[in-house]
This record gives sequence, C-alpha cells and structure tokens, in this order.
Amino acid sequence: MRSGTAARRARLPWSWFGLVPFFGYVSVFFLLPTAVIAYSAFRVRGEGGASTFGVANMSAALGGAYLDALWNSATMSLVCAVIAAVLGMVLAYAVATSRGGLLQKLVSTSAAVLANFGGLPLAFLFVAAIGNAGVLTVFVQERLGLSLRDDLGLDLYSRGGVQFVYLYFLIPLMVLVITPAIEGLRPEWREAAEGLGARGWQYWRHVAGPALLPHFLGSIALLFCTAFSSYATAEALTNGTLAITPLRIDGALSGNVLAGQENLGAALALSMIVVVVPLTLLYQLMQRRSSRWLQ
Amino acid sequence: MVAVIGAPVAPSTVTPTAGAPAPTAAPPQSRGRVRRAGPPVRFWRGVVLGLAGLYFLGPVLVAFWFTVDGADGPSLAAYTRIFTATGFVDAMTSSLLLGLISVAITLALMVPTMLLVHLRLPRARPYVEVFSLLPLVIPPVALVVGVRGVLGWGNGSEFVEVSAVFTALQDKSLPLVLALMYVVIALPFTYRSLDAGLRGSKVTVLVEAALNLGARWPTVLWRVVLPALRTSLLNAGFLAFALVMGEYTIAKILIFPTFPVWLAQSGATDGQLQVALALLSLAVTWALLLIVVAVAGRTRKAKP
Amino acid sequence: MRRTSIRNAGIILVAGAVVLGSAACTKKADATASPAAAATATSVADVGGMEALIAAAKAEGSLNLIALPRDWAGYGDLIDNFGAKYGIPVTVDNPEASSADEVNAIKSLKGQDRAPDAVDVGTAFAISGAEEGLYAPYRVATWDGIPETQKSPDGTWYADYGGYISIGCDAAKVAVCPASFADLAKPEYRGKVALTGDPLKSNSALMSVWSAALANGGSVDNIAPGIDYFGKLKASGNYVPVKATAATIQSGETPIVVDWDYLNAAKTKDLANAGVRWSVAVSNDATIGSYYAQAISATAPHPAAARLWQEYLYSDEGQNGYLAGYARPARLPAMQAAGTVDPALAEHLPAVNVKAEFPTDAQATAAKNTLTQTWASTVQ
Repeated sequence: MRSGTAARRARLPWSWFGLVPFFGYVSVFFLLPTAVIAYSAFRVRGEGGASTFGVANMSAALGGAYLDALWNSATMSLVCAVIAAVLGMVLAYAVATSRGGLLQKLVSTSAAVLANFGGLPLAFLFVAAIGNAGVLTVFVQERLGLSLRDDLGLDLYSRGGVQFVYLYFLIPLMVLVITPAIEGLRPEWREAAEGLGARGWQYWRHVAGPALLPHFLGSIALLFCTAFSSYATAEALTNGTLAITPLRIDGALSGNVLAGQENLGAALALSMIVVVVPLTLLYQLMQRRSSRWLQ
Repeated sequence: MVAVIGAPVAPSTVTPTAGAPAPTAAPPQSRGRVRRAGPPVRFWRGVVLGLAGLYFLGPVLVAFWFTVDGADGPSLAAYTRIFTATGFVDAMTSSLLLGLISVAITLALMVPTMLLVHLRLPRARPYVEVFSLLPLVIPPVALVVGVRGVLGWGNGSEFVEVSAVFTALQDKSLPLVLALMYVVIALPFTYRSLDAGLRGSKVTVLVEAALNLGARWPTVLWRVVLPALRTSLLNAGFLAFALVMGEYTIAKILIFPTFPVWLAQSGATDGQLQVALALLSLAVTWALLLIVVAVAGRTRKAKP
Repeated sequence: MRRTSIRNAGIILVAGAVVLGSAACTKKADATASPAAAATATSVADVGGMEALIAAAKAEGSLNLIALPRDWAGYGDLIDNFGAKYGIPVTVDNPEASSADEVNAIKSLKGQDRAPDAVDVGTAFAISGAEEGLYAPYRVATWDGIPETQKSPDGTWYADYGGYISIGCDAAKVAVCPASFADLAKPEYRGKVALTGDPLKSNSALMSVWSAALANGGSVDNIAPGIDYFGKLKASGNYVPVKATAATIQSGETPIVVDWDYLNAAKTKDLANAGVRWSVAVSNDATIGSYYAQAISATAPHPAAARLWQEYLYSDEGQNGYLAGYARPARLPAMQAAGTVDPALAEHLPAVNVKAEFPTDAQATAAKNTLTQTWASTVQ
C-alpha cells in the first residue's frame, strides 16, 4: 500500500477537494439565502420604489406590535418547551422503567412518528376533534349542554389552544431525545446510592439529577427552537390571527393588506435568527457535556 | 416545520436493534433498562402511560370518527373521495417525486462526504459537523425570505442560461428548487444518522481489514461499507422523505402546489376530506417507519 | 508521477470548463429580439385598431392570469366567455393567491413564459406596483367611462369592480339575521360572527373592521373605534377568529360572515344545495366601498392578449359580466347613463341603504399602520 509521510502529506490537499461538493452545496443553498436575508433586512424602499440602506425596517421589526409578536413567540415557545420537557421526561422515565420490551418499542416508534407529525395534519386533527364544529365540541354541546369554549374555557383557536397542540409533537420529541440519557443512567449508580443509605429523592437530587441536567437543559433549548420556528400549525389553527413572528413574516411577504413590505419580512426573519442562534449553540454545548457522563 | 426527530438520538432509538455490535464490546449491562420499581411506582407509571395514551390517541380516534360520520350514518366516503379530489393526484405526485429526489440528492451528497471524512479526513469532521448543523439555526419561515430573494435575482439575471435554469427549477409541476432546499433542511438529521451509523459500525476497522485482504476500493465500498451502513442509510432516507412529505412553510410561501399546500387549501371546500388525508398521512408515516425498522432488524439478524 | 499528471489534467479540465462556461453565457440583451409592437402600445390606436389587436392576441396564442377564483366577481364566466369569443386559451395560475403574491409573481417570473400578463389587485398594491415600474400604461377604449378617482393618471392601473362591506347570514341556523354592525354585538349572535381572515392579511377583513369603525364614531381617518369594537365582540364571544370559508359555513362554524357583498351574494346560490339559506345585507349603519384594480404587466409574455383582455373587461359585455357576479363595475354610472346596463343583473345587486365611504390610499396606509400596532393586543 502507500507508505511514507511525504506521500501522505502530498495527498491531504487533494482529499479536501472531495469535500467541495458538500461545502459548496451548503454555501449556495443555505448561506446565500441567509446572506440575502441579512442584506434585505437593511434595505429600505423609498418613495418612487428606489431602495437604499437603512435601519427603518429593522427598527420597525424590533418595535411596537412586531416586538410584541416576537415576545409572544418567545414566551409561548418557552412555556411549551418547559411543559413538554417535564412531561416528556416523566413519560420517558415511565417507559424506560416498564417491563415490556414491546411497550418500549411501541413508544419509541410512536415518538419518532409523532415528533415528525407537526404542522398541518396535526392542526386538522385537533380542529376535527375540538374545533368549533368538532366532534367532541358538538357532542358536549348536545349531550351536556356545555360549550367547550364558553363554559370550560377551552378555546382551540387561542394562544392556549395552539400551545396545547404544540405539545403533541414536542412531548414525543422530548421522549426521543431524553430516552438514551435515561437509559444511560447506570443501575450501579442507584444501587451504590442505596447501599450508602440514600432515599429515592436523594438519589435524584444528588446523582441522577446532576447527570441528566445538562441533557435536560439542552433538550429544553431544542424544544424551544422547534416551537419558536413552527409556522404551519399556528397558521392552520388560527389563520394568521395569532400574534407570533412566523405569521407576521407571512403577512409581510404575502397577503392582501401590506404592500411592498418584503424588506420588513426580511427584518423579522433576521430577528428570529438572532433569537434562535444562541439557543442552538447552547443545545450543542449541553449535548457535548452530558454525553461525557451518559455515553 | 423545523427540527423534527431529535437529531442525535433518532438513529439509536428508531432502530433499537441496529446498534451494531462492536468487536471491542462495551462492558456488559452498562446500558439497558433502568432499575425496575415497586408497586406504588407501578401505579403511577400506569397513570402516566394512561394519560399519555389518552392525549395522543384521543384526537386521532375522534378525528377518525369525524371523517366517517356522514349524513346517512358512518361511511368511508371521505376516504374514497380522496382520489377524485381535484388536484390531489398532481399534488401527491409532485410531493412524492420531490421526496425521492431529495433523498437521492441527500445520499449522493452526504454518503461520499461522510465516508471521506471518516476514512481520510478526520480533521475535517468538526467543520463538516458545524456546516451540517447550521440549517437548524434558521427557521424555514425565515429562510424562505432569503430563498425568494435569490430566486428573484436569478430570474431577473441578464444571462439567458441563468434565468433558464432558474425557470426550470421553479417549474410548477416539479419544483426542483424545493428539493434542493429540502436537502439542506434535512441536513442536520441526515448527518447525525449517517454519522452515528459510521461510528457505530466501526467502518474504519472494516475498511482496513478489507484492504488488508487485498480488496480494491470499489469492492470495499460496495460490498463492505454500504451494507454496513444500510440501517443508517435507511434512517437518513426515511427522515428526509418524511420531512419532504410534511413540509408546508417553504412550499406555501413560494406558492408551489405540493401535497401539504394542497391539503391546506382543500379544507376550504371539504373539511372531512382534509382530516381523512391528515389521518392517512399519519398512517403512512407510521407504516414507512415500521418498514425501516423491520429491514433494520433483518440486517441485524443477518450478521453472524 | 501518474497521480501528478492526473491532478494536472483535472485542473486543466476544470479551468477549461469554467472559461467555456462563462463565455457561453448569453446576455439577455443580445438574445432577445426587438419587442413586439403590442408591448409598448398605450391604447388600441397604437396597435392599429381593434381588429389588429385581436389578430395580434390570437397570434400570441394564450393568456396568463393569476389569482382569479372562478366564483369571485363572476370571473369564471368572464374567462370562459373571453376564451370562447376570441379563441384564446386562458390559464389561471394559483386561484388562491393574494395581491402580494400577484405582484411578486410579476417580479419573480419575469421573462418566463408563465409570468402573469395582467393582474387584479387591491388599490394599495396597484399603487405600490406602479411605483416599482411593474405595470405598462394602457388606456382602454372606454377609458373615459371610468371615474377619475378610480384610475391612475398615467394609465398604469384602473379600477375594475368593487363592492360594499356586507353581512352574510345563514337563515337556516340563525333566527333573525343581523342587518347592521350594531346588531352583531347582540347576545343571540354569540360564537357566530366571523371575518374572512386576519385583517392584517385579508383586505375584506380590514375593510370590515374599518366599516365597524365608521359605525362606531370613527371615520375614514380613524379606524381605532372599529378595532375596539371587534375587541368587544371578541370579549363577549360573538366574534370567532376563524377564517370563514364555504366549508366553515356549511359545517355551521361561521353562520354569520362579514365580507364584500359580491362574495357573500355569490355564496347564496353555491351553498343552496348544502342546506344553507344564505342571505346578504349591506350593513345599514355604515359601510365602506372599495374597488380592485386591473394592471397589465410591463413584462407580460403575451402583451397583445393582455391588452385584449382589458378591452374585453371594460367593454359593456365585460362590465355586465362583473354585474352577473354581483360586483359593481367601475363603469356602472357611465353605463347607466348610456343605458347599456343589463337591467336584470342590476336588479339583483344587494341594496345599499347608507352612504358608503371610499377611503383613499393614504387613508388606507394610515389605517393599516394603526391596525398593525393595535389589532393583536386588542383582539386576543
């Protein structure tokens, strides 16, 4: 075979060419559009249609109702992420400690499917079930004389309703992400802890908790980003009436009311990116840290 | 919608039997089930699982009832109406083709790249990893703003060839621009899947062994590497395909009639049909995943 | 040795490909032939008369339109009749597209064969597109019959049809149909009132809110009372934030819909088979009127066909076609004076019992800004 350091060194630059297709592809189909977003966000259309550089669109995107929308997006996603993280972890733990291998396989398959099932079809399912003309709504109305919305405060077309639907794909995502970490908790640790006289909650507080914490926090970051970026579900459920940034971007880009506001759409997109980037980095960082213990 | 399956974990969880047995085995019982619990915990576990089942299965069952609840009693009319719905066949064909093309481009792009990185350029791995995870950072609803800008620039280009290419990419019946973008969006997940598969199957060792036994590179790639990677290839393919079939944001804002976009519009005229299709897409995704798992299981059993 | 020569060969190949490729690209300016006469024609006379225009349009062979649903203002029949009369096949892209999508399609499909030839957009988009130079000026033969305030002085856009904000109601599900904005707040309409979408995306929803403003002490310069009014309706549960469509009306989710009168009126016949008794009333306490506008794309792939389409739309036959769709054509006053209105069609327009306001574009921009800032927080 080949031998000699000289030949090896001469080969290295050649091999890097093999990565050109990959880096080229990502640059053209991802970095380029991103650059266009950053560029357009700072372009302002003046009178007569000419464009110049300016911060008018960015300041509009970061003020007034658009800032409210960004804040709404962030708080809604945070609430969903935390709830889904806690519930998902509880569910994952329940499944991991159960006896049936069949149950575990069933749950892992379902989780993979459901985590993927967000967006439109999910919204339609819920509308059919508990929407204004949904099966359950009508049933409750006719049999019990109660209105889901007025008497029980369950309004699918509100912020709370959208959050409720988001949980449907966020919880499975959490289960998928946290199960290997839970399975990575070695039984020896629990036995050792009990051997030293620790109770259940002490085990959790001092052993399992700290081991899982980075992974848990990282998962919250991932769930947050997923909820924050979701567009299809909210759009299908509320038809643009919910005040969150993805829907505002859609309104700026395509609609019958706001004319000539594409640069505002770019500014809004840039504001979303600025929120998501640090959280994605946080997620990556947490992944690295927790994998040290739980691999 | 974005970040779908939990990236770093999907491969090992989706195909639980496919963690390839490494020659240098990990210490036994270091992984596996958590310690089983006593009766009171079992009760709570039952409650948790019961509630979860209710929340996840409930809407599906109720929605199913919605689709079969016809004016003259229960019927499956909504499901048979699907095939005659205007635009369904075109939209479905478009999405299916886009899915297959996206999978093809993804594998053609990522498999050689990942192999090159693992076998020849381990130093490049961090860079490839960062580039693969970049798409997670930009939500599709934001990315499409940039894509529109690039498309507008290309369409208005003063070079005939350039605008002809851009025209072809935006053909209504098969918008290849969508396939190209979907490859990028699926990148974080397909990268993870292939990466986990390459690491788990200890490809470097296998390749060394094969080369030592005198095999040439083509043989090594075809008969050693690819079969070892079969599970993660299937996984990556499944992830990419499912993502394409469900992707709504970019297709809607660029106004291409793919299946999800058509599905959203169909509700304006036929609500039952819409929900029936939503349920079917859930069922089909499930079936696809079961096939992937089954094939993966068979791969495992085939090993001695 | 072999490796070096392979590498060299590769480098030469790639370099050669790049050089050849860049040399082979043709600039569009060199490649296109001189534009057809029709592309710069600003009236029928420029093309040499109606016969010449028809001939040129037939030679082009087709017409591309966009965002025209068949049941919108009678467009279904208008398109069919145009195609039959002149033998020119018409393709309608994206019937569900919005005005912004139409303008964007002109820009993003420039130079392609499937670019739209003519667009039907809201006035704001007509003005904004004209500023960007997207439209070709053209004055139809019946130009003088279009009121001055409803066309641009340079001929880049011109109103085609319009209507008033009305309240549509399913008499099969609602005992007494509301006739005014004040009625909508009544407790018996709880959970029944819907708009056609979010006012920040749907023009008719915007105008509905604005009409409510007029009915509640506001004016064309002050939309705030309308926003407050809908906030009140939402709080009392009367207003449901569901986008009203034919499906939601049929299912009973949205038995009362505030929308353009021509859209509401068209539903009466469409939904009669589904057990819906849809009645329409232009709100009696206040209403806003507004027109949509036609414009020809400056980069239309079929300029003669585009101009022939405009001539058809503004002819008596075309304008009566809008009437058949319950919309009020722009030339209605002129046609009534000349007696060319189809009397049966004019009869079936919903009655208007209140003086309607027609906001200018500047007022619309101000209203949109106010709406953008306060709608979400008031009506959530």
